[in-house]
Amino acid sequence: MSESISFAISSWPPGLVMILAAFAVPWIPHIVRQAWMLGAIALSAWGLTNGAGIHAVWQVLGLELVLYRADNLTFPFALIFHIAAALNVIYSWHDRKWSEHTASLSYAGAAIAALHAGDLVTLFIWWEMTAVTSVFLILASGTERSRRAAMRYLLVQVLSGVLLLAGAAVIAGHTGSLAFERMTFGGPDNLGVWLVFIAFGIKAAFPFLNGWLQDAYPEATATGTVALSAFTTKLAIYALARGFAGTEMLIWIGAAMTALPVFFAVIENDLRRVLAFSLNNQLGFMVVAVGIGTELALNGAVAHAFVHILYKALLFMSMGAVLHQVGTIKASELGGLYRQMPFTMVCCIIGAMSISAFPLFSGFVAKSLTMSALGDTGLVWVYLVLLFASAGVLEHSGIKIPYFAFFAHESKFETGEAPIGMRVAMGIAALLCVAIGVFPGPLYSILPYAVDYHPYDASHVVGQLQLLIFAMLAFVFLVRMKWYPPEIPSVVLNSDWFYRRLAPALGRPLLGFVMMVWTRFIRVIVWYRDQFWAIADKIMHAPITGPTVPGRAVTIQAALLALLLVIGYFLA
Amino acid sequence: MTSSHSALQRLGSRFTLVLVIVAVSLVILEFVIHRHGEIAAEDFPIFPAIYGFLAFLFIVQVGKWLRLLIMRREDYYDE
Repeated sequence: MSESISFAISSWPPGLVMILAAFAVPWIPHIVRQAWMLGAIALSAWGLTNGAGIHAVWQVLGLELVLYRADNLTFPFALIFHIAAALNVIYSWHDRKWSEHTASLSYAGAAIAALHAGDLVTLFIWWEMTAVTSVFLILASGTERSRRAAMRYLLVQVLSGVLLLAGAAVIAGHTGSLAFERMTFGGPDNLGVWLVFIAFGIKAAFPFLNGWLQDAYPEATATGTVALSAFTTKLAIYALARGFAGTEMLIWIGAAMTALPVFFAVIENDLRRVLAFSLNNQLGFMVVAVGIGTELALNGAVAHAFVHILYKALLFMSMGAVLHQVGTIKASELGGLYRQMPFTMVCCIIGAMSISAFPLFSGFVAKSLTMSALGDTGLVWVYLVLLFASAGVLEHSGIKIPYFAFFAHESKFETGEAPIGMRVAMGIAALLCVAIGVFPGPLYSILPYAVDYHPYDASHVVGQLQLLIFAMLAFVFLVRMKWYPPEIPSVVLNSDWFYRRLAPALGRPLLGFVMMVWTRFIRVIVWYRDQFWAIADKIMHAPITGPTVPGRAVTIQAALLALLLVIGYFLA
Repeated sequence: MTSSHSALQRLGSRFTLVLVIVAVSLVILEFVIHRHGEIAAEDFPIFPAIYGFLAFLFIVQVGKWLRLLIMRREDYYDE
């Protein structure tokens, strides 16, 4: 009996059980609910023990939907998605409202299910579901500002899904197959491949398709942003690694992604938005690695995604804790919290050192794979851009985040540490960041390809430390000379400006013109209609069909009846 | 101002001191071990240090210029 149950559940696509469990979340009392959610995540993770292979196929409408395909590429992503989902549950332990818990559990479930989609239609279904579930994490802030951001977010995410489905249709039309495999440009299904590529590009926050990320993530709740930071974009990285590994264009796109957000992050005042820019920059490293496409590079992309989810969540958690405690996350208002929130400060610095890729922290062991793979390609300029971006990561995530939140100047706030759940989640994430950095073996053992790589050789460690320490010296130098730009309450324009400002500015007059033509057109139609009835009334001014509403109804009925009779005559 | 303010300053000074010591020892280490990079340029003596230092200054300077171009009032989108 128990075996048949285990068989049944383990052949479900992982994540599905989390989505189903989310339906019960509103009716379960507070603390039991957290245990219920952790249980659902554990059950879903248990499904991963099936190992590689195709475990669930569903025949529907003549389509063969591969609901559960597992291999070396899905496993590391699935594992870290489960860990992130569990960390979210712990982090939001204090939250008594059911709404966000439901959204966050089903969102994580949908993302995990999407990883295991073996065909483009299944991928589309989960792809859209991640959008529809995650939007509630932004709405949960409950402000007009967040509502608008949520709607913009939803529009962009759904657009990505629609492009994916359109692309899938074109590809299936040419190849007869919906299978989600490596795609190549230039074939007969070129249009479809491009549509899928752009769909992935939106979620991976390619340059100029990235506005939604920095726009929406910082508007979510303290807990919501942590959940958001883990799944959508890394699902896109997985999808790119599956569909477009070795596509050279990605190297250039990724390089631009690493470098451009750096400048925006320097001048952004909202610290969670700084982290959103930083997230974008990190995705760039992974996109470059996918573009290189060698075994070492793909290992780099996957390892980077794995550790990135942890340290980015850790950084968002520490900023969420600050937001939860003092009610603002503006650098211009914060500072000096190292006294009131020492534990959060330590966790934040561990996250900062991990993302900056200090030796002995998780970022180092992952990023080194990508940098070595890039060195092998001989693309010197790209290598120098990524090295430059590494200094940029240190600037905004390594220094700016902890410095302006916890140091900079005396604190204006009377506050203490965040709730215990938040601290436990931060503690676990911080521990994992250090553990992976010190013992990279277990991480390397789950990467898609066999790893023969040793990040800790003296030369490499010294080189990396020189880069980081001298960049920090530059910071200290600028601060001491009072040349470091002060934080200013402000908005930094990003690519969302095009649809938030430019499109309305151009669109409104255009829409006005279209509406004017339309009203004129309707007026003409109305005139003809009135003329018609005037004539009809004049002809049929008998008592039954007078110029009254019932009279007109009788006329219409008579006309329809006559039509039916004519049809009947021809059929008979 | 207050005593805690000077505590923060003391923390800053100590941090700077440690940083300088580490930086100097890294430059010394450069001549003890044979450091080599992924690309030829990296093999140039203390290349990562120079590159990191200049990159940081460059980022901050470009950020300052960028402010003139794309920084708006906080309620820019709220109108």
